[in-house]
Amino acid sequence: MSMIEFQQTSKHFGANVVLHPLDLAIERGEVAVIVGPSGSGKSTMLRCINGLEKISGGDLRVDNISVLGSARDVRRIRLEAGMVFQQFNLFPNLTAMQNVMFGPIRARRQTRAEAREIATALLHKVGLSERMHHYPSQLSGGQQQRVAIARALAVQPKLMLFDEPTSALDPELRQEVLKVMQTLASEGMTMVVVTHEMGFAQRVGSRLLFMEAGRMVHDGKPVEMLSTPPGERFRDFLQHVN
Amino acid sequence: MTFDWAAVIAALPDLLQGLQLTLLIALAGLAGGIVLGILAGVALTYGGRLTVLPAQLYVALIRGTPIVVQVMFVYFALPIMMDIRISGISAAIITLVVNSGAYNAEIIRGALDGVPFGLREAGLAMGLPFRTVLLHVITPIAFRRALPAMGNQFVNLVKDTSIFLVIGVGELTRRGQEIMAANFRAVEIWTAVAIIYLLVISLLALGLRVLERRVRLP
Repeated sequence: MSMIEFQQTSKHFGANVVLHPLDLAIERGEVAVIVGPSGSGKSTMLRCINGLEKISGGDLRVDNISVLGSARDVRRIRLEAGMVFQQFNLFPNLTAMQNVMFGPIRARRQTRAEAREIATALLHKVGLSERMHHYPSQLSGGQQQRVAIARALAVQPKLMLFDEPTSALDPELRQEVLKVMQTLASEGMTMVVVTHEMGFAQRVGSRLLFMEAGRMVHDGKPVEMLSTPPGERFRDFLQHVN
Repeated sequence: MTFDWAAVIAALPDLLQGLQLTLLIALAGLAGGIVLGILAGVALTYGGRLTVLPAQLYVALIRGTPIVVQVMFVYFALPIMMDIRISGISAAIITLVVNSGAYNAEIIRGALDGVPFGLREAGLAMGLPFRTVLLHVITPIAFRRALPAMGNQFVNLVKDTSIFLVIGVGELTRRGQEIMAANFRAVEIWTAVAIIYLLVISLLALGLRVLERRVRLP
């Protein structure tokens, strides 16, 4: 059984089709990197996985739970799928530590002591032990995004969804975030990453998917796809991002 | 003319009694108005048509009529319509709760609306039900955003209690009026009444400022 299964999944906003019926399976331990021009439906596709967007047709199953199930089912999926946003979305009224403790306490109903232990370990893992009592506004973008990754991990997800995690960052801050993601991938975390970082796709991705106008156009091994780009549109796209 | 301090001192016990009633009505109105404001504000922001419409109607009705008319309605018209008896103090408190609730609702709606949507999504993406997100993610931010406007509303509420002299509630302004009618010391009595209001409201404003500073984010 795959970790994520798109079964004729489609999505439209009114008359505007954002995702044409898609069949796609993402396996456990895969690092699927999704690229494509803006407006191609990458983010929408990602957000359908944890039900932040409701699908319009077909089915989408995460760890064999359908996003079309009850509100409870959708919450179970969200507990299993951690999400990292382009804009970090850290809670501004909480310190880094409190942000990471939030999920264990509220979503996993763990004690404060347990949550503190988890948060301390995760902040250490993302290299922010020195910054754990800082508020988001006192952290750089790269640090905020690393806290956001730790916050998502603290809920103990089985897979992680990244929605353009470095797009809001200055180039010199991107590497620290990508490094954390690479570590995560090397530990066997299942990851779906929407990004423009072709270098990351090549180094870390186990699979590269190219989307255009709501369709999954290419699906292959990153190294092969990047050395011999299949199709003219993908070649054009590569030239634009590089 | 000479300022007759003796008149002020003689009036003080009565005025302070009036102040007690003013504070009682204000505190009850404040507490009830906050509860009602939260309910209506949440309904306005997140409700379906069935809850938004009544909430909008309520706010429009209260904002569209003077508070004097509202208290007259509660004290004189409502008892006839519903065949009940109602005391002046009860009418005053009910009016204040309903009145300030409507203004609070609009303030709270604005504050809730202003919380970045991404924070809500971050909470939901952790698998939390919306009510938990509302309580633990949205509310702490909205509370800070609402505070200055709510403070303003609280100050108005304290002053609005003086309106209840029209239904004979013996609050501070009414007491002042009664004393003045007996001794004709208008300057002394209204000065004293004004200063008492000023002191109470300054204290409230100070408390609000301290609270705002304490919850301010870095």
